[in-house]
Amino acid sequence: MITVSSLTKKFGAITAVDGISFTVAPGSLFGLLGPNGAGKSTTINMIVGALPADGGTIAIDGAQDPTQPSVRARIGNAPQALAIYEDLTGEENLAFFGRLYGLRGPRLKERVRFCLEFAGLVERQTDRVGTYSGGMKRRLNMACAIVHDPPLILFDEPTVGVDPQSRYLIFEQIEKLRREGRTIVYTTHYMEEAQRLCDTVAIIDHGKILDLDSVPGLIARHGGKAVITAELERLPEGKQLPGVVVEGQLRFESDRPLEDVARLHADGIAFHTLKVDNPDLESVFLNLTGRRLRD
Amino acid sequence: MRVALTIALKDLRQLWRDRFGLFWVVAFPLLMALFFGSIFSGESSAARKLRIAWINAAVSQAAVDFREELGKSSALVVTDMPLDSARQLVTTGKITAFVQYLESDTAASAPYGAPQGRFKVGIDPSRKAEAGYLEGILSQAYFSGLQKMFSDYQSGRDWIQQSLRGLDSAEGMTAEQKFQYRHSLTLFDTALAAMGQLDTGTSDKQGSPFGQMNLDFEDVAVTRQGPRSSWEITFPQSLQWALIGCVAAFSLGLVMERTRGTYLRLRLAPISRIQILAGKGLACFIAGTSVCLALMLFGIAVFKVQVASYPLLLAAILAAAICFVGIMMLVSVLGKTENSVAGAGWAIMLVMSMTGGGMVPLMFMPSWLGTLSNFSPIKWSIFALEGAIWRGFGWGEMLTPMAILIGVGVVGFSVGVTVLRRSEM
Repeated sequence: MITVSSLTKKFGAITAVDGISFTVAPGSLFGLLGPNGAGKSTTINMIVGALPADGGTIAIDGAQDPTQPSVRARIGNAPQALAIYEDLTGEENLAFFGRLYGLRGPRLKERVRFCLEFAGLVERQTDRVGTYSGGMKRRLNMACAIVHDPPLILFDEPTVGVDPQSRYLIFEQIEKLRREGRTIVYTTHYMEEAQRLCDTVAIIDHGKILDLDSVPGLIARHGGKAVITAELERLPEGKQLPGVVVEGQLRFESDRPLEDVARLHADGIAFHTLKVDNPDLESVFLNLTGRRLRD
Repeated sequence: MRVALTIALKDLRQLWRDRFGLFWVVAFPLLMALFFGSIFSGESSAARKLRIAWINAAVSQAAVDFREELGKSSALVVTDMPLDSARQLVTTGKITAFVQYLESDTAASAPYGAPQGRFKVGIDPSRKAEAGYLEGILSQAYFSGLQKMFSDYQSGRDWIQQSLRGLDSAEGMTAEQKFQYRHSLTLFDTALAAMGQLDTGTSDKQGSPFGQMNLDFEDVAVTRQGPRSSWEITFPQSLQWALIGCVAAFSLGLVMERTRGTYLRLRLAPISRIQILAGKGLACFIAGTSVCLALMLFGIAVFKVQVASYPLLLAAILAAAICFVGIMMLVSVLGKTENSVAGAGWAIMLVMSMTGGGMVPLMFMPSWLGTLSNFSPIKWSIFALEGAIWRGFGWGEMLTPMAILIGVGVVGFSVGVTVLRRSEM
């Protein structure tokens, strides 16, 4: 669906995107995961043709130029900023954007209705957007991206500043779109979102893709070892422990945490409490991008 | 075109819902026209009438009828008030005169129902002409009963019969006097009866020797070089304020689209940049033209603004609207934030308005400012509108201001689009 090769973008002396390459398969959900300023939105803007690339190529279904109307008609983009009109109602926003994509008559009505249901805004459709909550606006922003029923949808950090209920609804609807066969590119810096939703995740930082794989693949490569923390009933005498004991608490890392815990138990070591922290996408992210603040 | 219209309708709907923005586009220009028009207007019909006060110390029917007759005069504005107040108003020049009626000591009325008492007129001695004018109007009212009698003989005869019946019981008259009065009234009654018979079969009472004076007025207006009223100056000016309001509203709307991300969403739709901007321009054009037409219709209907040529007026409004669409596009790219565009926009428009006759009418400008005004599109816009309203332009004379207006519009739009395109790189 999308093939990006050696894509580069510079803003003055700053290289925002530095020769990245990736492929998004049709019907998959591709995640761009990176800290603030990593180059995610710049990449999205180049894919949709809002920004010209300084180098590299983008092909969408084989077409090289995303600014062509025929290509744009196949793309839906929900930008990070709320790109909706607060003076208009939710219904009017959807109808307006639908008309820009050539929808008219019953088809337009049908799509507007679908999008209102998608965003959970049927009951507030005639209210002005200015009266909506942050979550409702965010959902409408997403709905405006799919009003023309595009096969390729790009969601740029769609859950920023929304409440848990809205976030849950957004996840549900994105998963539904994927089940219906849409190709989705999803940028976020929330690990749990990428871990839950994405088939493939590219970790991006300083304009470069640090790694790209499925979530289990990334964890296996970069997640590190599981961390076991156990509060011991008593300190064993004369036995070698796999980690250090501080104030009666044993802590050690392991590639096979369950096997190691079973072995300790077999050696007669009893635990008051036991906690196993398996590596996750956050571990991958921090291992790849470091722990330095990115303000 | 359909895309541009879709965007234009969206923008117009947004403007309609923005009450504050709408105020600057519609209400403010109208207020300007009304405010300055009323300041400069000294020729209202009410102002041309004599304002007098009526003081009646008594309540006789004759006096009441006289007051009513006076009130019918199209040359007077009569207000009832006490003598002290009336004297104060005359002293301060707020009314021309007061007329005080003092009832007669005798109960008898003057002939033909006219009041028998005395009239006292209070007026500044220097106002000789107005005093004479007022005297004529008072006399006309006083003798209106007599005039009515000779226009309607039967009512005259009714009054004679009533007087004859009252003569018998009249006190303070000698028998000789009563005889003379009876004799005279009977002769008069006979004469009226005869005249009534003579007039039978003809409805034309103008031939009556006692009828109204045959007096016709013909409107012979003084030939004027300038506008006929202040409204013909202030309404073209108000149209400029309406167009300036449109420029402010729509340039701000465009920069808001850019800062809030909706412009990006528009750009990602399968439509061209020029379609988007054409939609923006079309919205500004429709709003500007509509408000200008509405303001002019209001001026024509309410303030009797006389338009010399309606086709030229329409052409001038269309050309002015095109000009301001271009200015709107140019202003919208003067800054990247709403504050910078709003500030720069109003500053530029105010300077253009000040030098172009939007504040001080072109005809009152000193010559050097008149020369400077040639660089302001507002000057040409007002010039074109005034040309259609009272300057008496033909199509040939209208060509120059219209060409300048359309030229400014095209250049402004082109420059704005170019700057916007470069800023997107």
